[in-house]
Amino acid sequence: MTMTSANAASAAPATEDADQVTAPARAHWFRRLLRDRAAALALLTLTVIILGAVFAPWLATHDPASNSRSIMTPPVWSAMGEAEHWLGTDGQGRDIYSRLLYGARLTLLIGFLAVGLGGFIGSLIGLMSAFNEKLDPIVMRTMDVLLSFPAILLGLALVAVMGQGVVPVVIALSVSSIPDCARVARGIAIGVMKQEFIEAGRAVGLSNLQLFQRYLVRNAISSIMIFISLRFGQTILIGATLSFLGLGAKPPAAELGMMASQGREFLLFAPHIAVIPSVVIFVIVLSANVAGDALRDVLDPRLQA
Amino acid sequence: MLNVIVQRLILSIPVLFGVMLFGFLLMQVVPGDPALVVAGPSATPDVVAAIREEMGLDKPVLVQFWGYLERMAQGDLGRSMISNKAVTEELGAALGPTLELMIGAMIWSVPVGIAMGTLAAVLRGSLVDRAIMALSVAGVSLPIFFISLVMIQWLGVTYPIFTFIGRPGPWYTAEGFMGLFLPAFSLGLILIGPVARMTRSSVLEVLKLDHVRTARAKGLSETRVILAHGLRNALIPVITLVGLQVGYLLGGAVVTETIFSWPGLGRLAVGAILSSDFTVAQGTIMLFALGFITVNLIVDVLYSLLDPRVRK
Amino acid sequence: MTAKTRSIRAGLGIATAMVLALPAAAQELTIIRNQDSNHYDPARTAALSGSEVLFMLADTVVGLDEDMSTIVPHLASSWEISDDALTYTFTIKEGVTFCDGKPMTAEDVAYSLNRWYDPETKSPVRWRMGDVKSITAPDATTLVYELNEPHSELLYQLAQSFGSVVDKETVEALGPDFGVTGFNGTGPFCWESWTPRDKMVLTRHEGYTWGPTNYENTGPAQVEKVTWQIVPEAATRTVAMLTGQGDISPYVPYIGVDKLRKAPTVDIVESNEAFWTNYVGFKITKDMVGDVKVREAINLAVNQEAMAEDLFFGEVEPAYSYISSGALDWDESLDDKLLTYDPEKAAALLDEAGWTLNSAGKREKDGVVLSPLAITFTGEWQTTVEAVQADLLKVGIDMQIEPMDATVYWGKSATDDFDMYVMGFPYVSAGDALNLYFRSSNIPTPNRMNYNDPKTDELLLTGSHATSDGDRAAAYGEVLATVHDEAIWLPIYHKPMQIAVSKKMKPFEAHNIYGAGLYKGLQLGFAD
Repeated sequence: MTMTSANAASAAPATEDADQVTAPARAHWFRRLLRDRAAALALLTLTVIILGAVFAPWLATHDPASNSRSIMTPPVWSAMGEAEHWLGTDGQGRDIYSRLLYGARLTLLIGFLAVGLGGFIGSLIGLMSAFNEKLDPIVMRTMDVLLSFPAILLGLALVAVMGQGVVPVVIALSVSSIPDCARVARGIAIGVMKQEFIEAGRAVGLSNLQLFQRYLVRNAISSIMIFISLRFGQTILIGATLSFLGLGAKPPAAELGMMASQGREFLLFAPHIAVIPSVVIFVIVLSANVAGDALRDVLDPRLQA
Repeated sequence: MLNVIVQRLILSIPVLFGVMLFGFLLMQVVPGDPALVVAGPSATPDVVAAIREEMGLDKPVLVQFWGYLERMAQGDLGRSMISNKAVTEELGAALGPTLELMIGAMIWSVPVGIAMGTLAAVLRGSLVDRAIMALSVAGVSLPIFFISLVMIQWLGVTYPIFTFIGRPGPWYTAEGFMGLFLPAFSLGLILIGPVARMTRSSVLEVLKLDHVRTARAKGLSETRVILAHGLRNALIPVITLVGLQVGYLLGGAVVTETIFSWPGLGRLAVGAILSSDFTVAQGTIMLFALGFITVNLIVDVLYSLLDPRVRK
Repeated sequence: MTAKTRSIRAGLGIATAMVLALPAAAQELTIIRNQDSNHYDPARTAALSGSEVLFMLADTVVGLDEDMSTIVPHLASSWEISDDALTYTFTIKEGVTFCDGKPMTAEDVAYSLNRWYDPETKSPVRWRMGDVKSITAPDATTLVYELNEPHSELLYQLAQSFGSVVDKETVEALGPDFGVTGFNGTGPFCWESWTPRDKMVLTRHEGYTWGPTNYENTGPAQVEKVTWQIVPEAATRTVAMLTGQGDISPYVPYIGVDKLRKAPTVDIVESNEAFWTNYVGFKITKDMVGDVKVREAINLAVNQEAMAEDLFFGEVEPAYSYISSGALDWDESLDDKLLTYDPEKAAALLDEAGWTLNSAGKREKDGVVLSPLAITFTGEWQTTVEAVQADLLKVGIDMQIEPMDATVYWGKSATDDFDMYVMGFPYVSAGDALNLYFRSSNIPTPNRMNYNDPKTDELLLTGSHATSDGDRAAAYGEVLATVHDEAIWLPIYHKPMQIAVSKKMKPFEAHNIYGAGLYKGLQLGFAD
C-alpha cells in the first residue's frame, strides 16, 4: 500500500526514516521474501502477467483490433461459450483474451514508464535537495504545490492541454509520483549525509559532484529503488482509472482500463466484458502491493514488529 | 501554540502562490487561442480581437498574471466558456454535493477502518489479523470504478433498494439519503484499507511505549489498556493520514461522481476538461488544491495540538 | 443468442425486485437524457439537447403534426401566403401570456424572429429563415414575413425551436445570461432552475391554453413539474428506467431497448415518421479521400447490415442512401445504384486507384499509407467508428480515430484537420437535408465536406424556390443523384425514434420534430 505509507512518511516525522534499509537486513532478502507464501504467489502472478504481456504477439489467438460477427460471446467455461474465444468476445466481437494480453502490455508499460520517470526525477530532486541546504526549502515547497493536485485531476488537465493519448497519461502519473519520491529520497539522503564517510570524503577534498555521485547516490539508491517499486501498484490503478474516464490510449489499441470502460455498456447483458479486465487490473495491483509490502517487511526490520 | 498556527499559515503562502501560478500556466498552454475558443467556430476576426482585448490576452504575460492575481483576490474566476455562468457560481453549486459525498464516505469508513486496524493490532499474528490485513490490501487494489459498477448492479438493480442517478435532494431527506448511500458507500470502501493499516501499525507502535507497559503492569485489563492508552495516542498519525487521504478521496470522487451522475466538483472538473471549458477547469482544479492545502493545514495544527513531541 | 437468455433471466429478477422500488412523487415527471445543452437561448443553439427543452419552454408561430408534414396553428391561428410566395401574413392569437404574466403580442413574435435573423445574434441556423426582406408587426395580432426569394420550406422551419418567441425585456435584462440563469417564454412549462450538466427543472405554466392543435390537450400541461435529468452513462439510463427512477427516456441505448420492451413496467414508444440519418462524411478536398474511387471503396468495404445487427441489435435500419427513402422527394430510381457491402469490389477499386497492398497488408501509394483520420464524438459514435475502422482494416485501409467530447467536436469539425467526420441529423424532406449540407455557402460548417459544385448550388436554389411539387422533386432528385455518385458520405444507419416510457404514464404518440420526441409535453400525463 504505497500511497498511504508514502504520505504518512512525509507527514509524520516519527516514520520519516522508515524506509532506511540497514545493511544486514539486506542479506538473503530475496530468499526470505520467497519464504512468505503470499509474496511468493504475488511475485509469480506478476511474472506470469508480465511474460504474457511481453509475448502478447505470440500468445494472442486473434488480432486484438479485428472484429467478428460473434459479439458478446461469454467465456468458454460458460454454457454459451465458444472454443474459438477462450474469454469470449466484447461488444464489437473482438477476442477478449487477445485484447487482455495487449491491454496488459500497454497498462504495464504505462506503469513502468511513469514509475521509472517519476521515480528518477523525484529521487534526483530529493537527493539534490538533501545535499544542498539552500535549495531545500524552495524544492520542498514546490513539491507541496505538486502534492496539492490529485493525480487524476492532473491527468485530466494534461489531457486537456495535450489531447488524448498515452503520453499525457504517462506524464501525469510521473508528475504525481515526483513529490512523494522526492520527500522519501530526501529523508533517506539526510540519513546518509549524517554518516561519517561523507565528512571523511569532504576532508579528503572530493568535489561536491564526486561526493554526490560516489557517496550519496550509491548509498541511498537501493532504499529509494524499493520505495519506487512500492508505488507501482497505485500508479497502475490511477492509470487504469484515467483510461476508464476516457483519456489514455486511442482506439483500437487495447488498454485494461479502457476495456473495462467500454464493457460497462454491456454490464447488464454480458458482464464478463467489463469484469474480466477489471479483475486483471485488480490482480496486477494486488500482486504488486503484496509483493511490495513483503519486500518492505523483509528489508525494514523496524516494521517487521 | 499560536506560533505553530502562524508558522504553518506562513508556510502555506508560497504553496498557495504556486497553485495560482499553476492555474495561470494551465490557461497559457491550452491548445489554440483562448479567445478563439470563447468566440466559437463561426466568429469573425474582429469579434475574436474584441474578445482578446476583453480578456486581456493582448497584454504582456506578466501584466496578465498580475491581472489574474488581482481577479483571484477578488474572488473573480471568470465565466464558463460554455454556459457563460460565473465560475464561482458553478463551483458553489457543486461544492455542497461533493462535501456531502466525501463526508458521507468518511463518516462510516474511518471508524470501520480504525476498528479493523485496532483489532488486527491487538490480535497481532492471528488469523483475524491476517484476514484484516489481506482485506485492506485487497481494498486498496480494487479499482474504484469497478466497485461503483458492482454496487449499482447489486444494490441498485438486482435488489433495487437505493437510487443511483444524481442527487435527488440533501442527505437528510429520504430521497436524498437513498441517492447518497451508494456513491458514499463505494467511495468509502477505498478508504478503509489505508486507515486500517495505518491504525494497526500505529497501535503496535504505541503499545510498545513505556506508559502502556506501566498500565499493563498495573494489572489493567488488556481492553482498557488499548482503549485508554493505546488507541488515543495511536489516532494521531491516523488523523494525519485521513487528512492526506483527502486528496486521494477527491481523485476517487471524480470517478464516483461520473458513474453516479453526482452533481459535484469531480464531475464538474471532468466535464469541463473534456469539453475544453478551461475557465471552469482552472477553477475546479484550484479549488481542489485549495481544499487539500486547507485540510492539511488543519491537520498540521491538530497534530501539533495532540502530539506533545511536536509541541516541543 | 446467448445474451437473450441471460436478459430474460435478469428480467425476471428485476420484475420481482420492482416491488421494492420507491414510488415516484405524483405529477412530477423525470425525463432522463444523455447530455446537456450549452445554454437555452433558442436563436443561438442548434443542439437537439437545447431544442427538446425549448419546445417546452417556448412556443413557435406554427406547430407541426406528428405526421411530420401537416403544419398546424400554434401562436398563429391562421396565415395567408401571397401568390408569388414572397409574403406570409400570420394572425397571432390573443390572450397569450409569458410565464411572468405579461401578454404576448405580434410585436414579440417579430422581435424574436428578427433576433434570430440578426447577424449579431450569430445564429448557426440563420439560413433556415430563407432570404428575408423584413419581418414586421403592423398591429398586435398581425405578423408579416416578407421574403426576397420564395422559400418552400419556410413554415416547417418556423415550427422549429429556433423561432421560439421570447420576451424582449428578459433578453435585454439578462444579456449573455439569457437562457443561462433565466428565461421568459410562453410555453406550456416555465423555467425553474438549471444546473448545467445535471438537471433542468420546469414547472407548469398555469393558464396555458394555446398549444398546437395536433394535441387533444392544448393546455395546460397535465404534469406539474418536469425534471430533465442528465445521466451520461448509457447503461445507467437503461437500469434507471428499469428500476423506475425515470419516467421517460428518449435516450436508451440500443442494447437496452429490447430488454425494456420486455420489462413489465416499461413500454417503448416508436414512430414510423422518424427521419434521422447517421453518416460519416468525407472532407473531399483532402488527399486521402479526394479520389472518388477511394470513397466508393470505403462505402463498399463497410458492412452496415452487420453493424445494424451486432452493434445496434437490429433496432436501426442500415443506411445506403443519404436520406431515408420514406422522406419527401427521395428519388426511387436511385435505390438500385446505392453502394452496398462488397469488399472484393472495394479492394479492386483501391487497386485501380493506385493504392496497392504493401508488405504490412496496408494500402500504399507513392510511399504514403492510406490512413485517413476520422474525428468522432465519444460514446455510441465511437463504437460505430471503431467498427468502420475494423471493416476498413480488412481491405487494407488504416483509418485513424480521434474521439472527443461533443462540445470540443463541434469546434473541431469546423476546421480542416481531418479526412472524415461523423454526424447525425434530423430532417423533414430531401430539400431540408440537401440544403443543409451541400450548399457551397455552408462551407466550412455544416458543409464540412468542402463540397463545392455550382451546378448543385443552382439546383438547390431551384428546388428551394420551386412553387410546384414536381419541379422541386426533379431538382432535388438531380442533386441526390450527383452526391450519391460522388460518394460524398458513407451513410451508416437511419435512426428510429424510440422512447422508453414507464407504464405509469398514459400512452402517447412520439413526435419527430428535430429529433425531439416529446415536443411540447402537453400529451404527457400519469395514468390514474
